[in-house]
Amino acid sequence: MNSTPLFDETFLRKLERLAIMSRRAMSGQLQGERRSTKRGQSVEFADFRPYSIGDDFRRIDWNAYARLERLFIKLFIEEEDLSVHLLIDTSKSMDWGDPNKLWYARRAAGALGYIALAGLDRVTVSDLGGSIGNGSYFPPHRGKTAAFDLFSFLQNISSGGHTDLAPRLRAYSARAMLPGPLLLFSDLMDDGWSDGLRSLARRRYEITILHILSPDEIDPTLSGDLKLIDTETSAAVEITADFDLLARYKTGLAEWQEEIRRFCGARGMHYVPIVTSLPFDELLFAWLRRYMVLK
Amino acid sequence: MNFLAPAAFVFSLLIPVVIAMYLLKLRRSEQVVSSVYLWRRMVRDVEANAPWQRLRRNLLLLLQLLFLAAVILALARPYSWVEGASGESIILVLDNSASMNAVDVTPNRLEAAKTRARQLISSLPDDATITVILAGENASVLASSSQDRRLALQAIDSIQASAGSSDMTTALQLASAIAARQTDVEVIILSDGRTTLPDRISIKARIRYLPFGLSGDNQAISLLNVGPAPGSGSLTAFTQVSNYAESSAQRRLEIYVDGFLVNAFDLEIPATEQVAVLVEDLPPQTRLVEARLTQPGCSQPCIADALPLDDRAWAVYRSGEPVRLALVTDGNLFLEVALSLLPNVDLTAFSPTEYETHYPANHHIDSLQTDSFDLIVFDYYIPPGIWSTAVLENGEGVEQSPGLTEKPLSDLPPGNLLFIAPPHSTSIFTVSGALDGPLPRAVDMEDPLLAHVNLSGVSVLTAARISLPDWARVVIAGDSAGASIPLLFAGEVDSRRIAVLSFDLHHSDLPLQIAFPVLLSNLTGWLAPGKGADLSTYVSPGMPVSLTLPLGVESAVVTRPDGSRVHLTLEEDRMIFAETQQLGVYQVSWGEREHIDFAVNLFSPQESDIKPVDNLPVFGIDSGESEGHTWLARREWWRPLVFLALAIMLIEWLVYHRATLSQLNSQASGLLIALFPRNRS
Repeated sequence: MNSTPLFDETFLRKLERLAIMSRRAMSGQLQGERRSTKRGQSVEFADFRPYSIGDDFRRIDWNAYARLERLFIKLFIEEEDLSVHLLIDTSKSMDWGDPNKLWYARRAAGALGYIALAGLDRVTVSDLGGSIGNGSYFPPHRGKTAAFDLFSFLQNISSGGHTDLAPRLRAYSARAMLPGPLLLFSDLMDDGWSDGLRSLARRRYEITILHILSPDEIDPTLSGDLKLIDTETSAAVEITADFDLLARYKTGLAEWQEEIRRFCGARGMHYVPIVTSLPFDELLFAWLRRYMVLK
Repeated sequence: MNFLAPAAFVFSLLIPVVIAMYLLKLRRSEQVVSSVYLWRRMVRDVEANAPWQRLRRNLLLLLQLLFLAAVILALARPYSWVEGASGESIILVLDNSASMNAVDVTPNRLEAAKTRARQLISSLPDDATITVILAGENASVLASSSQDRRLALQAIDSIQASAGSSDMTTALQLASAIAARQTDVEVIILSDGRTTLPDRISIKARIRYLPFGLSGDNQAISLLNVGPAPGSGSLTAFTQVSNYAESSAQRRLEIYVDGFLVNAFDLEIPATEQVAVLVEDLPPQTRLVEARLTQPGCSQPCIADALPLDDRAWAVYRSGEPVRLALVTDGNLFLEVALSLLPNVDLTAFSPTEYETHYPANHHIDSLQTDSFDLIVFDYYIPPGIWSTAVLENGEGVEQSPGLTEKPLSDLPPGNLLFIAPPHSTSIFTVSGALDGPLPRAVDMEDPLLAHVNLSGVSVLTAARISLPDWARVVIAGDSAGASIPLLFAGEVDSRRIAVLSFDLHHSDLPLQIAFPVLLSNLTGWLAPGKGADLSTYVSPGMPVSLTLPLGVESAVVTRPDGSRVHLTLEEDRMIFAETQQLGVYQVSWGEREHIDFAVNLFSPQESDIKPVDNLPVFGIDSGESEGHTWLARREWWRPLVFLALAIMLIEWLVYHRATLSQLNSQASGLLIALFPRNRS
């Protein structure tokens, strides 16, 4: 597969300034930089509570005891790590376009994964190609040292033929229990996209859909009587691409994107439409920030 | 449906080619796309419209196939047999004789024939040449070998009904002459067959005859004559009514005298028979008798039979003024009795002395106006004024006097002259002796002066030897001993009629013969015709009328029955009028009040017998084609097919570009809105 390095050093350094936004506090597993739902040891005060037997008396607020002669425990906000789920749709339809959608998705996943690693979050990557259990899986890693493993993993994933989105997503949500931001890189060109997203929404993920489309899917340059062959399913559709039909295609595309957006909005998901003609810098430093994915 | 060029159906092989190309076009070029997900979503919308979409596609194919089929059909030049003319050249011979006025077909036979002729012309191929010949009283070519249909149609339109006969013989000769110059000629005769036909004519063409007319139901006044009743002063009108129908007819004959109904007869006329009606005791001053044939119990106007044209007839009685005749003689009983017995003659007898007293030689011109005679008979006498100076007493004279050629008539008495046994030469003839015992012989038995005159048994003792002047013709010659002299010669000098009988009646047994009064009657009839006496009794439509008018009349006006007037300039007192196509009473007027009437009647059994002839017995037709086949003409249909193909092509273009057109339309309206935003508010 694509052996060129996903990013160069300077770009990675620029990425370190970014962080993946998380709108809610979620409990993690290890100490991290994220606010957790737990109370724990950090510099940030959260609350007092009366001392009870067994509490660590190092955390007793002696100043309060001096004043009130009662024992209070100082509670601090626990900062823990986050599990960032990166899901890449590697169906055949993603391996398409110029710039290639899958390559674009891999780069975006790499960048976001690096940001997460740099933010001491755990990063896990799954590709949704092939059949269930067949896709490759990048187990949770922490720390910038895992970045190179991540990159090489991303470089090695390839498009996996026909993919049914809904069962793959259902399987993933059943397996990956850790809550955290979930970023799905897909073109959603599958009848099961709504079922799949619905199954994801049942978990406590903070889901962001990065809907990647290539320019020729936004504005197809077709003409004449054509038999369109699906690169993924080899299904055929016969059309007569005239002015009228292309205009209706664009209308249909806009309606579809709007439908997805409303679907996501109703379930607290973020929907970010991306065209691969968008320069990568702009995607990371402007586009995703505008859509509140990064900060 | 037949085809002139069935080979063009080879092109129908193009139809499967078109279908194949259409199918090839439908085998779409394959295009791999990332996913057909969106397309399928959209096509699902389209599926709702799919039948229409399919129809639209098929509509294009259908239109293309229709277009191709129309073009191939047009190339095959389909034609159908229609009734009409098919030749490269067509010669239409139209009959406009009187019988074509019959109203047994509406509006009448001639109009039906004209309508039919127009149809024939319009059904002709484009490059056909058209000739229109009118077989009327005088056959004429109205349009000659013209490809200009407008011209031919104008010629057809210009044909008018006439009351004359039709000269089909000449018309067919004209057609034959025209056909000889052309190829594939078709002669179409539009007539009712009531026409004179040549016995045999060779026309290098197919001849068709289109008969017009349905019935022969016609009754006609076939004769009307008015004359004095013998032995009484009244007049008698003789009328003959003919029934040409196959059944007997009840008709009423009305007789009008000078415009007033005087008598009416209800007649029962058997089929194909004639009934004669004699109307007696008409007043002697009668001028005009009119006979009308009507339907009994039918108030006018009433069309009783198919041809109204011959239901009226007119007769003009012209004997109001007697011929004034002067006889200058020493005494000739034969002459006096014979002349006085002539009808309608006012005879004045003079002795030579009386004559010279009344009419001195030098007063001839002055007396012309007041007291002139229509005819002066000089019996063995020559007025002194016209004595030839060269006459010798012994009768042997010089050939001619010197002054004769200069002013030959100035010294003659006015009016027409009859010289009997002239004793001397005159300025217009020369007596040069005598001949004994000439045997009279008629020079021309057909001469009207010798009508009913039998010269056999007439002997002449002696006759003056007169050499024939150049103005005269010999009527009776006398042969004796190898010599031949004119016994009676007549002629016209300066529009006056002069006859010379060269023997003395006393020296002949002619006055004792029956021939004498007849000859005298003929001579006076010719020499003193009276007003209109030289008019024919029966004038047929179209027949020229010749009429001698009194001396000095230079112009006359003819008023026709419809009131139109024709001004004529006379030559030598003779009027010739040929525009007698209308039936009715014509009036020739001159001077202040002088006039003569004459009537033109259709006394023509050929025209009145209007029963259409189904087959024209014309022989000598070169073409041997059977009748049934020649009635059919090809009508080609490629022209409407080409228009159909064009229309289909246009529709196909519109259907094909419909979407684009509507798009352009919306874009244009959008542009308009952008340009003129105020329009939106």
